[in-house]
Amino acid sequence: MSITTTDHDEHAHDDGHDGHGHGPAVEGAENPGGQHETAYKRDQKERLLIWLLIGGDLLFLVLEVFTWFYLRTLNVNGMWNGALCTKANPCTDGLGNPITAPITRADPKYAIIIGVLAVVAAGFVWVAEVNAKNGKGKRSVAGAAGIALAFMLAAVAFQIYQFQVLPFTTIDGAYASTYEFFMGSTLAHLILLAFLGMGLWIRAGKGRYEGKTWYRVRIIRFFAVWIAISTVVLVTVGAIFY
Amino acid sequence: MTTAVAPPLLEDTELGPKAGGFYRHQNIFTGLGFGIGLGFIGWLVSHALLQGSNWGSDMVVTCTMFAWVIGFNIGMGTFNAPIRWMLGHDQTHEDELYAAGVGQGASRYLKFCTDHKVVGTQYLVLVMVLFGVGGTLAMMIRTQLITPHSSFLDPQTYNSIVTIHGMVMIIATIIMVSGPFANFIMPIMIGAKDMAFPRLNAMSFWVVVSAVPCLLATFFLGGVNAGWTTYAPLSVQAPPAMDTFALTIITFVVSVTVAGINTIVTVVTMRAKGMTMGRLPIFTWGTVVGSALGLYAMPAFLLVMTMMITDRATGTSFFVPQIGGSQWLYENIFWIMGHPEVYVILLPGVAAVLEITSTFARKPMFAYKVAIAGFVAIGVLAIMVWAHHMFTTGWAPNLAAPFMLTTELISIPTGIIFLCVIGTLWKGSIWTRLPMYFVYLFLWNFIIGGVTGIYLSDVPADQYFHGDMFVTAHFHYTLLGGAMIGATAAVCYWFPKMTGRMLNERIGKVAFWVIAAGIQITYFGQFWEGFQGMARRVAYYDPKFLDANVMSTVGAYILMSGWILFLYMMLHAWRNGAKAPANPWHAKTLEWKVPTPVPLENFLVDPVVTSDPYTYGEGVPDGQEVPDFAPSEEPELVPAGSTGPGDPGESGEVR
Repeated sequence: MSITTTDHDEHAHDDGHDGHGHGPAVEGAENPGGQHETAYKRDQKERLLIWLLIGGDLLFLVLEVFTWFYLRTLNVNGMWNGALCTKANPCTDGLGNPITAPITRADPKYAIIIGVLAVVAAGFVWVAEVNAKNGKGKRSVAGAAGIALAFMLAAVAFQIYQFQVLPFTTIDGAYASTYEFFMGSTLAHLILLAFLGMGLWIRAGKGRYEGKTWYRVRIIRFFAVWIAISTVVLVTVGAIFY
Repeated sequence: MTTAVAPPLLEDTELGPKAGGFYRHQNIFTGLGFGIGLGFIGWLVSHALLQGSNWGSDMVVTCTMFAWVIGFNIGMGTFNAPIRWMLGHDQTHEDELYAAGVGQGASRYLKFCTDHKVVGTQYLVLVMVLFGVGGTLAMMIRTQLITPHSSFLDPQTYNSIVTIHGMVMIIATIIMVSGPFANFIMPIMIGAKDMAFPRLNAMSFWVVVSAVPCLLATFFLGGVNAGWTTYAPLSVQAPPAMDTFALTIITFVVSVTVAGINTIVTVVTMRAKGMTMGRLPIFTWGTVVGSALGLYAMPAFLLVMTMMITDRATGTSFFVPQIGGSQWLYENIFWIMGHPEVYVILLPGVAAVLEITSTFARKPMFAYKVAIAGFVAIGVLAIMVWAHHMFTTGWAPNLAAPFMLTTELISIPTGIIFLCVIGTLWKGSIWTRLPMYFVYLFLWNFIIGGVTGIYLSDVPADQYFHGDMFVTAHFHYTLLGGAMIGATAAVCYWFPKMTGRMLNERIGKVAFWVIAAGIQITYFGQFWEGFQGMARRVAYYDPKFLDANVMSTVGAYILMSGWILFLYMMLHAWRNGAKAPANPWHAKTLEWKVPTPVPLENFLVDPVVTSDPYTYGEGVPDGQEVPDFAPSEEPELVPAGSTGPGDPGESGEVR
């Protein structure tokens, strides 16, 4: 491999390198001093990062849904949801107790509310992104981010609340197990999103997304939209395919 | 070539007393302190709240070990940057320099350090430790099997050791190339100053470190006696050690996923000018395809182990048939991860072999683009073969033929890559130094591992061989004889660049012959056992298998001696070895064109690549002679890390 060399400044805008803080500062207000890479380059890196993360999470989601349909189709020992369990032919729960009637279906309204909250939260992150992109000032960005955060936290709270009001527990067969797993997975994702939402709100309030750095809101929006989509998918599967 | 007056190295830069923030107070000891402390608190709280429940002990163990993992990483500083990001307190330029290890000498190896070379070295040490642990367990297994009814280990302990040996080795082999070399070497190879996300890079390392005690804790919690695949329902019924086992995997998955994404982003976005995808060194291609496969495989591992924990600790029924679960669900998801994972292990090692072969054959790599196509084809086919591990389980017999076909198909790109190595050697002016010895051994072992794999992909043959020692011999030939020997060649090749020291080749060659002999004796012995029909994972066996077992055990001791000698050679060279020149192999790729030791940001002057990576004996396209650097003619790239033009100064923030 033959090479020639060039000074940093010569093509600082052509090749990105996220090193340790040398060379000319080319970032905006968020990063006034350190990295010698363009906003475009950082955007490129972070976009690829988030898409790869979403790709991995998509596989996780697909396998979750696969699990649902696999167990539902097999209905091993009639214990998908106990629909075949009768007094004459009782099934058993995880503690060995007899089950003589179908497991009560989870009320879909809570799940639907959570799905709606996640979608609205993603929508407000999108509004924050548009505001940042259009240079509307930190108050409008922070305002939209704050509303998004409120919806995220509400979704987290509802998801926790739903655990309290379920008509079954984890030991009541495959339907109950998978449904609660979906809830747990959604809760974990929503908490992660709320962390990002909190950061978005605080940083927007400090004016960190003014100027060229609006693209970093877009990164969070990608994730928020993905969480909304995955939540809706799980809600839909859980609500329709009892 | 542009040159500049060398400014002071960044390593020598004086940082302010507040540089680094919390990082200044954090190292592996605070990690251990926080981990043990939070683990203890987790144990107290969960014990108080959950012990009375039906699955109390599993919940307590899970909560305790989870608290350990979180605590260790808090103590290490893994979460510093995300929390500062959330609070809007970006790290300053000085903080970043501190986190990169500036001015900290050897202590940076015990810290959350963002320099990719430090992370690569940390991985190398961790891999050596893991191989030490896994190898010791292997020797215990073989010692037990030297007589038919040995009392060295009881069956439960034996089964636990087999399980943990398997998982330690799987973890070690997954990271043995992608950890040290994809971190230390690959960024320099492509002309980057670091990985795309240095903090994620350091995080990937320390997260996997926090997983290791979880795995070793299994021995104190009843052991995991379900084999490394931990099939349900055995694993659902196993002692609480199974909880920490699953938590180990979950933690490991986080690390591998983060590392894989970082590798891909680095290669896609941070190549030097002129380093087109068609000019990437083949090793880089291997790590990228391996990382992509890991990204596909790891979510399945995460899901199946999370379900395993919930089955055990909360009473869900994913894998328990009595209450609606299915062990076939476990097997499917596990092998959806499991077979691609084989190639996550294999591809980077094979790519390293290709890289080394071209250097020492002193000729361009044979069929470079075909080899890349081979990697990609393996990556695609690897996700379509998982059920060949389930031929004997009774699941979907109608799918046996399609899975047999896809499995046999994968031997085609694998064979093509093999031919690329042979073609590169063909009529080359081969310079047989220590790395090449291991390349030859790789070729020998890999063809045995590959050919025996074709037998196992065949459904009728698999009905006979499945579950016996033939399978054990096959995958050891593939993973140890192939991937691990490839990684060993990589150690010999890049050791001078990573440590600045040359290995002692006389000791190395002795170690090589001992290792080579040990592998053949050990695993031919196991083929023999398999042909006789001896089941694997058994502590006692019929005396008719004695001769084959003695052969295998004797081979294992020979093999162990070879590895110990190799380890001695490494450690001795690291401390006392001859100083390595910048380019001892006269190689062409970029990592050999920077000084040794490699400065903090690798390049002060950014390289612009103007030719393919393997231009041995050829002119570059514009007719200029390719420089072939002899040790005394090292390239004039000047150490980076200066307070040169464009330095942002003290107050600048970064990221």
